[in-house]
Amino acid sequence: MSSNRSGSSAAMPPAASTAPLGGAANADAKGDMNAPPLLDARGVVKRYGKFTALGGVDLRVRAGTVHSVIGPNGAGKTTLFHTLTGTVPITAGTIQFAGHDVTHEPDNVRVRRGIARSFQVTSLFANLDVRENLRLAAQGAHPTGAFDMWHAPGRRREIAELADAILQRLGLTARAGTAAGALSHGQQRRLEVGMALAARPRAIFLDEPTSGMGVDDLDGMKTLIRGLAADHTVLLIEHNMNIVMDISDTVTVMQQGRVLVEGTPAAIRDDDRVRAAYLGNMITGGRA
Amino acid sequence: MNVYLLQVVNGVGVGMLYFLLAVGLSIIFGLLRFVNFAHGAFYLLGAYFCYQAVAWGLNFWLALLLVPLVVALLAWLAERTLLRRVYDRPHEFHILITVGVALVLQEVVILIWGPLGDNVATPAALQGVVMWGGFIYPKYRLFVIAFTAVFALLLWWLLEGTRLGSAVRAGSESAEMVSLLGINVFRVFGLVFALGAGTAALAGALAAPIRGVDPFMGLEALGVAFVIVVVGGMGSFSGALVGGLLIGIVQSVMSTLWPEGARLMIYVAMAAVLLLRPHGLLGRG
Amino acid sequence: MNASRRAYPLANLFANPGWWLALAVVLILPLTLNSGTLATEVLVYALAVLGCNLLLGYTGLLSFGQGIFFGMGSYTLGILMTRAGLGLPLSVLLALVAGALTAALVGWFAIRQRGTYFVMLTLAFAQMFYFLAYSLPDWTGGDNGLLNIPRPPLSLFGMTLMPLDSPWRFYTLVAVCFLVVFWLLQRVTASVFGRTLLAIRENETRASAVGYDTRRFKLAAFALSGAVTGLAGAFHALMTGIAPLSNIEYHTSEMILVMTVIGGTGNLFASVLGAAFYVLMSDWLSTLWPRWLLLLGLLLIGVSLFMHKGLWGLLQRGWTALRRGRAAAAAPEGAPEGER
Repeated sequence: MSSNRSGSSAAMPPAASTAPLGGAANADAKGDMNAPPLLDARGVVKRYGKFTALGGVDLRVRAGTVHSVIGPNGAGKTTLFHTLTGTVPITAGTIQFAGHDVTHEPDNVRVRRGIARSFQVTSLFANLDVRENLRLAAQGAHPTGAFDMWHAPGRRREIAELADAILQRLGLTARAGTAAGALSHGQQRRLEVGMALAARPRAIFLDEPTSGMGVDDLDGMKTLIRGLAADHTVLLIEHNMNIVMDISDTVTVMQQGRVLVEGTPAAIRDDDRVRAAYLGNMITGGRA
Repeated sequence: MNVYLLQVVNGVGVGMLYFLLAVGLSIIFGLLRFVNFAHGAFYLLGAYFCYQAVAWGLNFWLALLLVPLVVALLAWLAERTLLRRVYDRPHEFHILITVGVALVLQEVVILIWGPLGDNVATPAALQGVVMWGGFIYPKYRLFVIAFTAVFALLLWWLLEGTRLGSAVRAGSESAEMVSLLGINVFRVFGLVFALGAGTAALAGALAAPIRGVDPFMGLEALGVAFVIVVVGGMGSFSGALVGGLLIGIVQSVMSTLWPEGARLMIYVAMAAVLLLRPHGLLGRG
Repeated sequence: MNASRRAYPLANLFANPGWWLALAVVLILPLTLNSGTLATEVLVYALAVLGCNLLLGYTGLLSFGQGIFFGMGSYTLGILMTRAGLGLPLSVLLALVAGALTAALVGWFAIRQRGTYFVMLTLAFAQMFYFLAYSLPDWTGGDNGLLNIPRPPLSLFGMTLMPLDSPWRFYTLVAVCFLVVFWLLQRVTASVFGRTLLAIRENETRASAVGYDTRRFKLAAFALSGAVTGLAGAFHALMTGIAPLSNIEYHTSEMILVMTVIGGTGNLFASVLGAAFYVLMSDWLSTLWPRWLLLLGLLLIGVSLFMHKGLWGLLQRGWTALRRGRAAAAAPEGAPEGER
């Protein structure tokens, strides 16, 4: 496994968004406070046997905004994402996305609705090359086309072009033919984001995209995420407060399966409850 | 009325043997997390070794003690030299290698004892019937029920009450944790594999006077063992007991009503459990 | 590097040689074997192994149920030809369809679980179908199987094309069908669909997360596998003239799986290798020593320990070693010498 730390961030292009990469409705302009939220989740409950991971969470995300979810370990942030993206089935509650009730739709169906995600623990097609990973992700938004048993991939040019464009944006063009498992950790984390991008989603869910990243890679990832905000609605789970405070429009703080408080970054930063919850209990994740 | 009672008692006897057969497989799966396709072959060896030992004039009781130990030793050697090397490979290789071992053992049995099989005489002390009121029942079958019940208790004590047992139970939760605690996990794996094989061999030795010996009894036993392990729950001792008895009794009763259906039905049950409740009746998954 | 390319113009062949190698096998068999039936048997099982490999090597599904589809193919052909009096081409086609439908049915259930539970499910279904076949002798002939399956001359749309009475003539038909199926499977495995299957094998959670309904793809793979395996079963029945119970027995499923892993799961031609090896070895060895299965068992153990890419992997390693040896020998002598 080759380590590429010194080269990785240098290879990153500027964060200008390019047309083919915009979300399916990149005209989602933020600012219209009265428009119905793009994502409207109410009373989300998730139980694993006797353990309640989410005890009734409400989340409303306006289109075109960057909405961060923060909280100590064990707060249920990733579980919330799992229910919103359909990775795990919900125990109770409703989830509306772009006017559709997606509560019980599995994750692959929600991709077509315009929801795509990256994983906290890197989950790529490790033995397939980077370009193939992106091609699969791009094709995944049009899965009926994937039942073509006659033609080799490459026939649909827009998918190939999309994969190439994302490669460029991630700064991985040089590594297009490398197996995904052979990339450095930072490159893999970027590819994770790229996999979500490839679905050209309306809402992109990033679960701790910078987790485990070294200082060199961090700037590159920050630029990438900021670039996403221009044409997608972004939901972000992050521990890196630098990024969260810098780019978020709204921040939701979770603790022990519930929402503690929600507001603008400035409001959250000054909130006593948040301070206590985070600083006092960052390791144990207990009550404030 | 009496016919059904007879079948139920037969079913209990068969069920206890099924339990003996399946419990080893279940524990091996619980700890090693792979399905052992050689399990039936250990049953086969147990039956044939006992058959041969008795033919040589060895005391049946002694044979019942020694044969499982011998088979357990062979199994332990197999685990140490062969199986250990494929633990980290994808599960088709676990299946492949144990299929290979089973094949080799089956062919060796045919090489030594021929392809046809034979009857096995019931030991003298256990011949004949027991009469209790209007109920007549072969002594040997009653002995099998009693013996396996006692053995089940012993085994349960071994698993619940000893350090080895705790290591086995803990190991099936997390082999990594167990090794961090300073217990040699590999040695535990080997012992568990040997224990599983030994119980299967004991089942074979006990079954031989009832159904005779033939080189293909291993394959048949393997299929049934899988059913019981699935129905009872992979990794569960009590599951093997409940599953064994359940399948044994139902199969016995069915064999008077619809013989072909009996065999079909246990696999339908297996499929149903896998689809509806894959952890089995008592398994923890 | 260039030097060795020029010295071995066929080196590129190894990039995608599959069909040509299959053709080579089809041509070599009549030249090296005396028995047309044995040659046909190789191709029949090669088809079955291709079906199994589609599931195992390409989709990551370890199925113990291939014997079900093989047996269904045999039975369907047998019933249609002996009871319904249907012609050969139609019966073969319908046997293929029967294989596909049965596989879709079994697959629909089995896919609901993953990993070991999936494997156990296929095993349970294999046993179920076996006992079902055993207990319906009116349909399947029970223990005896279906007998006296005819092999009329091949005729399409009323025109008689070719008599099939001799083993080698029948071999020709099977060989042509085999090559066509092999080519089709190559297209399928190289297609968008095939690549999606590989992705599902690689990381099913990820595949679902990027938008694929993995169940549908697995089901399609099952149906394809069933079709090819059913076809193999139909040819087997035509070859032997009977549709025995053993075709649907667990042992058949096991042996098909064994052939698949011995050959190697990396590509399609490996399946041909696996089937050829098993069929030819069993024929050759069983005349020498009735307990030849012992050697097979030892081979299986050996493959699991040392040769997990199967025979194909072994050949690949040999080829690479050969090239490296030649290149190393050519290098110190400088460029002009290397160009030959």
